[in-house]
Amino acid sequence: MGDFLELVVSASATGCIYALVALAYLLIIRPTGVINFAVGEWAMLAGFGGFVFLFTLNLPYALGMAVVVALMALVGWVTERLTVRPLVEKGAPPLAPILALLGMLVVFREVVSLGFGPDPQPVPPALGHGRLELGPVAGSYQSFFIIAVTLAVFAAAWAFFERTLAGKTFEAVAIDRRAAALMGINLSRVTSLAFAAGATVAGLAGVLVAPNVSAHWMMGLPLAIQGFTALVIGGVGRVEGALLGGLILAFAEQFTVRYAPVPPGLAMGVPLVLLIVFLLVRPTGLLRAREART
Amino acid sequence: MTRRLLSMLKLALAGMLVAAATATTAQEPIRLGLITDRVGPAKPYADPVTQGAVYAVRELNAKGGLLGRRVELLIEDDQGRPDISATAARKLVDANVAFILSVSLTPATLQAQSVTKETRTPHMTPSNSGDTLTTAIDNPNFWQTGPLGSTQIATLLSYAREKKFQRVALVTDNSDLGQLTNRFFKAALEKANIQIVAEEVVPRGSTTADPQMQKVRAANPEALFMTGVLTPENTLILRSVRQLGLRVPVLGNYNMSVPQYTQVARGLLDGIVFVDAFDPAKPEVKAFVEGFRKEMGAEPYNLNGYGYDGVMLVADAIRRAGSTDKDKVREAMQATRGFVGVMGAVGSSYGFADGRRTGFDPNGMVVRVYEGDQQGRVVHVGAR
Repeated sequence: MGDFLELVVSASATGCIYALVALAYLLIIRPTGVINFAVGEWAMLAGFGGFVFLFTLNLPYALGMAVVVALMALVGWVTERLTVRPLVEKGAPPLAPILALLGMLVVFREVVSLGFGPDPQPVPPALGHGRLELGPVAGSYQSFFIIAVTLAVFAAAWAFFERTLAGKTFEAVAIDRRAAALMGINLSRVTSLAFAAGATVAGLAGVLVAPNVSAHWMMGLPLAIQGFTALVIGGVGRVEGALLGGLILAFAEQFTVRYAPVPPGLAMGVPLVLLIVFLLVRPTGLLRAREART
Repeated sequence: MTRRLLSMLKLALAGMLVAAATATTAQEPIRLGLITDRVGPAKPYADPVTQGAVYAVRELNAKGGLLGRRVELLIEDDQGRPDISATAARKLVDANVAFILSVSLTPATLQAQSVTKETRTPHMTPSNSGDTLTTAIDNPNFWQTGPLGSTQIATLLSYAREKKFQRVALVTDNSDLGQLTNRFFKAALEKANIQIVAEEVVPRGSTTADPQMQKVRAANPEALFMTGVLTPENTLILRSVRQLGLRVPVLGNYNMSVPQYTQVARGLLDGIVFVDAFDPAKPEVKAFVEGFRKEMGAEPYNLNGYGYDGVMLVADAIRRAGSTDKDKVREAMQATRGFVGVMGAVGSSYGFADGRRTGFDPNGMVVRVYEGDQQGRVVHVGAR
């Protein structure tokens, strides 16, 4: 039982990281239709941001985190300005921005590998590397911190979409770009915001996971793949879907490794089987988008 | 008239060219080629090995070069890819190098051999550990001077025998080299009649190793062998070992000797033993550390030593050959005996006895222990 609850905490923390990456995809896909596989590299950039500001410069955690998050918003905004907007303005086909962003993935990764070298770098955790035991429920400080921050981010995202006018403009653009533009919604502003928000959320995932995995130039791609799988499971329609998808994926991964009687090398195939099953059986994911309200 | 002038001009030009050519031959440098991986999966290893080679060439030139000629190092990047590695080897042969050093991935080095075999160009790797590199292709122009994978396994097992471990757990990653290392360790453990009570894989890109380490904890082994080679994933394993309160001796493979662990796994390392080929107490190492620090402005470590030893072994062979003639250099290299380098335990040396082309002393590796977060003393030597 102790093992089980310990693993619940660990899987929840991992699931929250996947959920944040899935949310980063979702924030961009919803209003623009662009799948941005560079979200993993954004997480990696933020991981190195954590190394620079929290380890090398040794800023207080809250301040360092704020600096990294602000820089990530800037990175997202600039990425959109430089790669997506010129293509959209020239009337390029919808696939073009996706390919351009794949190119940016390589650019981000190689810039980091040249700038920081191939070795992994340390990033300090928020509250130290200790272990918290609440009765039978036990886990690292960082696991609980990841869960808390993720829930806060999802609550904020939910409130934004459901309770604010700006959020409603996102929703409107997601439902029908042309109609939204005709209603006077500034499409380019929504797109800019979507990329800035996506990079911020991906960056948070990076800073949160880096104390465990350390910041290294190869850390982005696995996160991008896991986040995408979580998104497919949960569905792109609603923000809760990203959280649900991330948790389901992480639980499937970790409980298979721990309890399923499969050889160790095969356990890592289980999430991919899950992805295939969802794509076949329920390609829209578990949670569907709400119908347009009248 | 014009025609005569033209032919005279041609003659003069030809003469000048000949003169220029002889002048350059007189002081033409000895070129060494190096094939490294600057962007691929071997980069974390290949970069520091290359640095060591660069330093060795600088040291040679500072001491007057080789056979009175300056030494020049031509570096090619193969991205860890076998096809590009062979092309790079071809390019270096065309540049008339006296020797090629490969420090990229093992498969890339294997493919580059197809070129050096055909062109009879002396070729060696100072750092690849694949056991079959000198036997897969019958290439008399190729040597391997780093410790073999089997040597590191034998050394760590000899330590485990000394400690009388009976029930052990294995944990690795899903990289090619990690899987290979794990397979060799497993075979050797089974041969030594040591029971494997758990075998786990922490795949690349994991964010935790908790489920795997829970299984290890449940299996209650007497020791945990880490056979993976990915530093971030190994750090995850160590973090879980600490988090889940496993009180078990941890034995690390060669990857655990990478000094980056003292940065990313701070606080998790004390007491972990690991295989290494670098003994800080050896006089050659002390001289190397001092010289490298002065010349390159950085603290050297074991991987730098491989590149350094590689170039120095090549220089020694060329010196004894007295020329860069490929056949003479090959004979001289094969005749290497008792060459003491930076790498290897005190008392060990490089040499190619009995026609073998693997030069590292099978008893030249050591087992060291982390003391606090520092790579500490040698606790075991050799594979006996």
